[in-house]
Amino acid sequence: MALRGAYERYLNRFGWWCVAPSVLFFSIFYAYPILSSLYYVTRRWKGATNTFIGLGNFIRMARDNVFLEAVGHNFIFMIIQVPIMVFLALLLAVLLNQGIKSFRGGLRLAIFLPSVTSLVVVSVLFRVLLQTNGFLNNVMLGGHFIASPIGWLSDAFWAKVTIILALTWRWTGYNMVFFLVGLQSLDPQIFEAAEVDGASKVRQFFTITVPLLVPIILFSAVTSTSGTMQLIEEPNILTFQGGPSNATMTAALYIYRQAFFINFDFGYATSMSYVVVIISGILAAIQLRLLGGERATR
Amino acid sequence: MTVARRWTPGRILMWLVLLGSAVASVFPFYWMLNGTTLNPNDVLRGILAPGGDFLSNWKLATTTYNLPLFFTNSLVIALGTVVFGVVINSMAAFGFEKYRSRARDRVFGILLLTLILPQIAVVIPMFKMFSFFKLLNTRLAIALPSVMSVFIIFFLRQNFKLFPTEIMEAARVDGASELAIFVRIVAPSMRASFASAAIYMFIAQWNAYLWPLITILNDAIKTLPIAMASVMQAYTIQYGALMVIVCVSTLPVLILFLTMQKQFVAGLLGSVK
Repeated sequence: MALRGAYERYLNRFGWWCVAPSVLFFSIFYAYPILSSLYYVTRRWKGATNTFIGLGNFIRMARDNVFLEAVGHNFIFMIIQVPIMVFLALLLAVLLNQGIKSFRGGLRLAIFLPSVTSLVVVSVLFRVLLQTNGFLNNVMLGGHFIASPIGWLSDAFWAKVTIILALTWRWTGYNMVFFLVGLQSLDPQIFEAAEVDGASKVRQFFTITVPLLVPIILFSAVTSTSGTMQLIEEPNILTFQGGPSNATMTAALYIYRQAFFINFDFGYATSMSYVVVIISGILAAIQLRLLGGERATR
Repeated sequence: MTVARRWTPGRILMWLVLLGSAVASVFPFYWMLNGTTLNPNDVLRGILAPGGDFLSNWKLATTTYNLPLFFTNSLVIALGTVVFGVVINSMAAFGFEKYRSRARDRVFGILLLTLILPQIAVVIPMFKMFSFFKLLNTRLAIALPSVMSVFIIFFLRQNFKLFPTEIMEAARVDGASELAIFVRIVAPSMRASFASAAIYMFIAQWNAYLWPLITILNDAIKTLPIAMASVMQAYTIQYGALMVIVCVSTLPVLILFLTMQKQFVAGLLGSVK
């Protein structure tokens, strides 16, 4: 028995050795930064020196309209873009899976293709395509769809539309793949039975497909939500530094600019990032509860 | 069940949606590829026929815009991250899955919390830390923070679950050490999962933006995304050369996807398994 105990201890020790390097990296690049920022949030940087200001950073934040609007923009992008994209991805998955018999592989490949581009490349491409004298305006003017060029990048409203367009282009095919996998796991007999009962395709989509795919829809919504809370490439490059005049400023970009561009006040920037962490945490908790609730009822 | 092949309005609408989406998805790729052959004005206007400026754009990109240097930087940093990352993440996944203990399960639970942590929350203290050790503006500084990836540990752990523990027991009876079991028996049979993990890590590092943007302070160690971002900030932009850089930075990922579609998608789906 003693020998068995020694062997167990040997296995346990080996287990620790396996995870040790990763835990070390975790401590340096996650645990330490998070813990040390607890000190940062109470201080204010001015040049190289910093002073204790207690909760001053949070009071300043509550009055900082650019920050509050930036968080608002994150929510706008989330509330408008995520549902559009999820619906489109689901629709395309269903059409590819049940609607057609030919060209299925080619179409799937084509629609997934944007997922291989980096967010910087997406931002660069759309920035050039959507110039006021650029391709899209030229095409739309040429076809007489619009009377005058649209300020895709220079108008506060259209700049937001531009970000939503770019996000939808980049992520719809990516999410579609999840739905395709989900659809393949469904029993085709359900649809045959619905067909016999005379349910239309549209009705089948809303009363059978969507309810059965709820877990995957939620998964895709959770990951997309956490993605939109972190938006930074698109507002920084596509609409150039959150422009026009902060109309597309996001929380992450504003924090980055406060820390490394404008004031170099690491205390204030860290405090704002704490608020973003808390918002992300709350959103994740809500969505995980929805996911968990769904599992429990199945 | 026979599918009606008549062109009903519903079927026409369906094909319009599918073809429209496919064209919208592929068009920017054609446009950027074609843009490498045009002069800056024609790129902007969106001329769709090929032009004759490819060589001058290529020359501008490779000399004035330092494309070979940035490409090498990106490649070295991404490959370094992948090699070290696959080793330490797979070891960790193996340890967490095949040597379960309550303490290690708790550690894993803490690691999982970082999956919802926005990157912006750690980069500021990390910047301070690297500047304290005088490591800012080095390739090492760009790579180190992304070597350990909780997502990859999670993904590989899910895959290790499928490896039968009985085989490990049998190897132990034969006198194999635990390390030999991992290196000689488990790892070789999980090659496909390792490939998925490697592809995922490569792409994540190849495309990384926020941390490189913060830690890179001069041209010598710039990666492709940072180089593109700085081209976009110039007063006059050489669009043709820009399209060359955009194409070159998309190509490796595109090739990985087209040649290893199965592993590529498996890595992507890792989280829903």
